[in-house]
Amino acid sequence: MERRYLVASVAILIAFAVGLVGYYALSADLGDGLEVTLEEGGWEEGEPAYQAPFDYGSDYFTGLIMGLVGFAATFTILFLYLRAVKTRKSDR
Amino acid sequence: MDPAVLMAGWVLALPAIGWAFWRLNKTIDERSVPLIALLAAGLFVAQMLNFPVGGGVSGHLIGAALAVILVGLPAGMVVMTTVLVIQALLFGDGGITALGLNLLNMAVIAPLVAYAIMAVFKGNKLAVPVSAWSAVFISSVICGLQLGLSYSISGGAYGIEMAIALPAMAGWHAIIGIGEGVITGGVVLFLGKVAPETLRMSQVRTDKEVVEHGA
Repeated sequence: MERRYLVASVAILIAFAVGLVGYYALSADLGDGLEVTLEEGGWEEGEPAYQAPFDYGSDYFTGLIMGLVGFAATFTILFLYLRAVKTRKSDR
Repeated sequence: MDPAVLMAGWVLALPAIGWAFWRLNKTIDERSVPLIALLAAGLFVAQMLNFPVGGGVSGHLIGAALAVILVGLPAGMVVMTTVLVIQALLFGDGGITALGLNLLNMAVIAPLVAYAIMAVFKGNKLAVPVSAWSAVFISSVICGLQLGLSYSISGGAYGIEMAIALPAMAGWHAIIGIGEGVITGGVVLFLGKVAPETLRMSQVRTDKEVVEHGA
């Protein structure tokens, strides 16, 4: 992989680590547009049909770690899929 | 959400996403692979960072317009699909039952809106922020309609009354979309200076040109 993508990855993760400070300082307690709409409409969240293995965490450090896990998982899954597609295409 | 509306989400989203994967599989080139994967990973973490928009409400980047501008429509839809599926399966964000509707709204409708506006206003300096704002606004209005429709179909058992859902979703996301427009515009402006070759959609190249000339 080109060096510039590694540099870009580090830059994104640094921006995320800094942005997460602002998130916990300003927004962590605020619902997003959909959540507020559901609240206004009297929606009550039921039991989830599926229990995910992770959540986003409730403090800075768990949030940071979960962000890193999500970043790595998303990158790896899509990268491997696209490489597999590319390799299969080249083999034809 | 009413089960019929949830099912409709899957029925409408899956063929469009299938088309996006099929199209990307046909046109993918070696140099685009890390960019597309990095974009998806970057959007995943960006979506975790809510920003306050006033009135006790926060918003976060969706990134559909940014994805379409950077890697084109099919790849943009694949990027958004990957992010939403990982959020739902690994982190329980958005839920499994609503995933079809989330995919329809954020991985199909939002990229299509962004693509259409970028194509129509090609070359206009405001095309990027306007496409980002419109992608958020229109997809959230459609989400409001889905909530209202659920309420009507189920006789109030699911969803939210249309008179509440539609204005609330439209109102909040009209404001949140401004943040999306500013962030998307800023990122595109920055990339235009440091890595202009990454801006595929801003040049609105066809798939045929990409195959012939590379990314």
